[in-house]
Amino acid sequence: MTLRDALLRGRNRPRIFGEGSPTTLRGDGYEFVQLRGYIAGDDTRRIDWAATARTGALQTRVMLEDIALVFAAISDPSLSMSLGRRRALIDAADDAVAAWFAASAGEDRVMAILPQGPVPERARAGRDGARLAREALRRQPAGDFDLHDALAIARAVLPRGAALLVATDAAAAERCDDEMLGETARTFDTTLALARDPWQEELPLVGLNRLVDAESGESFVRWFGSSEREAYRRASIEREEALQRRFRRLGWRTGIFEERDGAAALAEAFGIARGALP
Amino acid sequence: MSFGAPAYLVVTAALVALAIWSLQRAARLRDARDRAFSDLAFLRRSLGGRDIVGTLIRAGWIVGVALVGLALARPHLTLPEPIHDGAVVLCIDTSGSMASTDIVPTRALAARAAAKKFIEEMSSGERVAIVAFSGAASLVQRLTARHAVAIAALDTLPAPNGPTAIGDAMALAGTLLGNHGPRTVVVVTDGVNNTGVDPFAAASSLGARGIVVDTVGIGTNSGALIPGTSEAAGIDTAALRSYARAGGGRFVRVENASALRGALGALGRVTAFRPTSVDVALASALCGALLLALCAFIAVGFGRIS
Repeated sequence: MTLRDALLRGRNRPRIFGEGSPTTLRGDGYEFVQLRGYIAGDDTRRIDWAATARTGALQTRVMLEDIALVFAAISDPSLSMSLGRRRALIDAADDAVAAWFAASAGEDRVMAILPQGPVPERARAGRDGARLAREALRRQPAGDFDLHDALAIARAVLPRGAALLVATDAAAAERCDDEMLGETARTFDTTLALARDPWQEELPLVGLNRLVDAESGESFVRWFGSSEREAYRRASIEREEALQRRFRRLGWRTGIFEERDGAAALAEAFGIARGALP
Repeated sequence: MSFGAPAYLVVTAALVALAIWSLQRAARLRDARDRAFSDLAFLRRSLGGRDIVGTLIRAGWIVGVALVGLALARPHLTLPEPIHDGAVVLCIDTSGSMASTDIVPTRALAARAAAKKFIEEMSSGERVAIVAFSGAASLVQRLTARHAVAIAALDTLPAPNGPTAIGDAMALAGTLLGNHGPRTVVVVTDGVNNTGVDPFAAASSLGARGIVVDTVGIGTNSGALIPGTSEAAGIDTAALRSYARAGGGRFVRVENASALRGALGALGRVTAFRPTSVDVALASALCGALLLALCAFIAVGFGRIS
């Protein structure tokens, strides 16, 4: 299954939207996928009355849509994403964005959401469009990033039902409020590619160290021994798991990527083989 | 140019080398990419507030610098130095009143046991002699460095009998001691001087020769009689204190056997050591340098440079 197929089938989309539903808002499709419980807003012409009679509750026929998708992406350009042990996280995020845009086909369109830049132009189509959108994300100046603001821009410029990818790290993801995340997930087909903390497995700090925050410039001096490294490892894993649970609860697919392979987050989020990605 | 304490040059060179190494390494660590951290607030939150080792290192630096600075002031400490060339004369009262049983089993036997304890506490090499006195003073043991021999000699002390000639005992002790080295006379008595030469004059004479006179007064003021007499066994504490003062020593009053044993044991330790002023500047500098080196090594020696 390709990434585009997975999107159309709503694969791994949290169940609050109905299993197997590509979207509750798009137009008719042709290929029957499955029956599911009626959700307010479903086209009443798609209610399966026979199934409704059998189950005693309204049932909607889910159809695989044959429509042009909109692939949109937000890539966190903050300074914390420029860190990494062997490779910057921003480069890994670019892997995910490249694979995301490359999944577009036919009449699909792509769009880069630039939270620090001008209001995005209309979504572009075709390979050139994908290349240009990716380049636009790569050329973002490093600086402050607020996921809430970026999502607000996305909600302003993207059509309903667009497929939105957000590639960011835990620090930015943690700061975004539930209301914005939930509203965005109800409007779009949302996927979070979360950067794994590069120091999660082994904090490379031993002895007395002075650390500087990549974004705020704040610093502090502290001793690091084995117990501190273990405490950090546990806390980092717990934070990652908590973030994934939170985003899924709010209607997002989630996948984790490490600095060596950003596209792996998409494979994990959609439950498809890594080789199926472009 | 010459140096009064060339050892300090080694300490100084070591400190300079350590400072250069620490600065260089700290600079390299600062430049390392790992020093910039993506989410410092989370790191602090996950580690909690306590930083015991870091606090100890900072305290170590402060103490280390203080110790090195202290060395410049050339500090001196007064420390006890073992005396190996000293001589002590134990003068033990064997007058009739020492048969009193207010100290169990008798004053004489308690004094004998305490004297053994005194000798056991002396430094090896320190010589001891034993003088017994009642109506007159007699030599029980000449000065000897063989403490076992002196302890054995205590068993040959005469039985309690007769008056008390404290001054004669001090005079005899003075003839046993030479004119050099640490010398001490310890008088163990329960009574009032009632015969022989003036004890105060004898103690003053000893003090003038640099001989320390310690006096130990034993017995209680219970009104007990001297066995076989109608005379109360008294003790002239004021006189004994004055003898000790004249001899530049200490006076100790004890009223039971264990206190006597403890007092003589303590006196034995005191006579075994003498206070000596020691220059600890080098030790202070070395300790400070070692502490600084240890802190610097822990602080930056383990730091990984990517």
